[in-house]
Amino acid sequence: MKSIDSRIWLVLPAVLVLAVAFLGPVGWLLARAFTFPEPGLQNFAAIWERPVYLKVLGNTLLISAVVTPIVVLLAFPVAHLMAHGSARLRRWLIFLVLVPFWTSLLVRAFATAILLQRHGVVNSLLVALGLVDEPLPLLYNFVGLLAGCVQVLLPFVIFPLYSSMVRIDPAFMKAAATLGASPVRAFVRVYLPLTLPGLMTGGILVFISTLGYYVIPALLGGPRQQMISQMIQDQIATFGNWGMAGALSLVLLAATGGMLLLLQLTVGLKEVAR
Amino acid sequence: MTKTTRRTVLAGAAAATLPFGALPFNAIGQGAHDLKGTTVVFASWGGAYQEAEKAAYCEPFAKATGATVVQDGPMNVAKFRAMAGSGTPDWDVVDVTGGFLEVAAKDGLLEKIDPKLVHLDRIDPRFVHEYGVGCIVWSYNLGFSTTAFHNGTPKVWADLFDLQKFPGKRTLLDQPVASLEVALLADGVAPDKLYPLDADRAFKKLDGIKKQTVFWSTNSQSQQLFVDREVVAGIILNGRVYDAAQKGAKIDLSWEQNIQAVDYLVVPKGSRNRDAAMRLIDTMTVAENQTKVANMIAYSPTNLAGLKGIDPKIEPWLCTTPENLKKGFVMSQAYWRDNLAKLTERWTAWKLA
Repeated sequence: MKSIDSRIWLVLPAVLVLAVAFLGPVGWLLARAFTFPEPGLQNFAAIWERPVYLKVLGNTLLISAVVTPIVVLLAFPVAHLMAHGSARLRRWLIFLVLVPFWTSLLVRAFATAILLQRHGVVNSLLVALGLVDEPLPLLYNFVGLLAGCVQVLLPFVIFPLYSSMVRIDPAFMKAAATLGASPVRAFVRVYLPLTLPGLMTGGILVFISTLGYYVIPALLGGPRQQMISQMIQDQIATFGNWGMAGALSLVLLAATGGMLLLLQLTVGLKEVAR
Repeated sequence: MTKTTRRTVLAGAAAATLPFGALPFNAIGQGAHDLKGTTVVFASWGGAYQEAEKAAYCEPFAKATGATVVQDGPMNVAKFRAMAGSGTPDWDVVDVTGGFLEVAAKDGLLEKIDPKLVHLDRIDPRFVHEYGVGCIVWSYNLGFSTTAFHNGTPKVWADLFDLQKFPGKRTLLDQPVASLEVALLADGVAPDKLYPLDADRAFKKLDGIKKQTVFWSTNSQSQQLFVDREVVAGIILNGRVYDAAQKGAKIDLSWEQNIQAVDYLVVPKGSRNRDAAMRLIDTMTVAENQTKVANMIAYSPTNLAGLKGIDPKIEPWLCTTPENLKKGFVMSQAYWRDNLAKLTERWTAWKLA
């Protein structure tokens, strides 16, 4: 039998912090789903009976499902250049990706709004160049939400992808070419599978982060982009209904768990953790 | 910090010899230094508004009573509930909206206002509640861009729904409160026939401008939408129009059918300084103190005597001048207390549809 690694004690502080500051309160909130205002399943019954809750949940999943592939597609070439470009280019790219990462989410949301509004930079430019006659509706709709989510979440995919890509030996691609593979085939059969761990990690991070988004849809989205976190916030802050907030959180958690399970069944989480 | 005058010394002596309950009412207002060592925590909405409250209510109170007033905030419903629910709130006096006052009173989160300690007679009776005393009155108004229209400007709520005469993007609050009232007023319902709201009729009316509407969730956002020329007309608070106009935005408001709402000072249930808290609220009822707040940020006094010393530049922006008061009405917070949850659900569903 293997003895317990003595270093396990080193994780104790982190575990304690998590238990006190995360598991406790979250457990308490989720338990309220079954006990507030009275014991029973009435909160879940309400979510089931009133279509607006499931609709918003579906909306949330859909938005996450659209945001994720867009972020991944945009992140891929950046990570690629970062991993295989010159050292100087890499430093610049890392710097450029990190700068917005250090900026407050709220500030970035407002900045995005300023860029995209009717008389904002983007629209003024498009009109001045004669590309459009009327300013395009880029804000307070799905486009605005997408712009906000994508730019905020890009680093979450770029970095895992980068760490997967730097470990790919450039000789592999040469070997594939020597063996007669076209560049496309070599990329699809050799390079892409090797980036999969980073791709999946980043993709999952983006998907799950988007599920819980609150500030971005509130500031950049439109009436139809209501997401579940906004409803949870409403339940607590406006109605003091901890039971409903707990129930909605539990449903969101279950949806997230379901997604991870789906991933485990299709790709395998081991692949991701590698 | 405290300036000793003959009066404060005398009052202090009176406080030392008399049990507190026996003090005549006016002695309390005149600076008996009997609260030395007491700390009262005052929570409000931060920003320029809380600065004004601090200067107009808290500082005179501290000076008169010797108490220390600590500023905290911002007011947050979830935080308030957690505090009052625990039985030992950190806050002693809190500035809340009329809507929350009703809900909190129903849920037993508030101390009753003590009429022995607060001069309720100074306040307009419409703004006195068993569990809170109105401190400011503000209103939802029809705000509009002064440069967007060439055939006059929108005057009544019906104009907000007239896309032919006043084309362009609108803004509404991202909640049924006020939005439904506005829709019904626009549809021809008289203010005294509004409650209970005919929600079906209101949502039907709102359908007409839904595609042209940007929804705001914070007051600063409503202001920004006008400043950025993102919208040309909509529902906005009078104080916000004043602020935006001061800062050079091309914005004005109509007083027709203005919908008035009140902020109240309340004492959370279980406050350890209940009496001191009541007396801080009493300081708020003084006309000059309310005038000071109004002159700092254009929110109206609830003590109508406070209107006397208002800066003439500020006065036209207040919803409680006799003229503006006549054009508007006070929103029914009791109605919203009982219907907010249901109608918010419907509001969300309507937005998604």
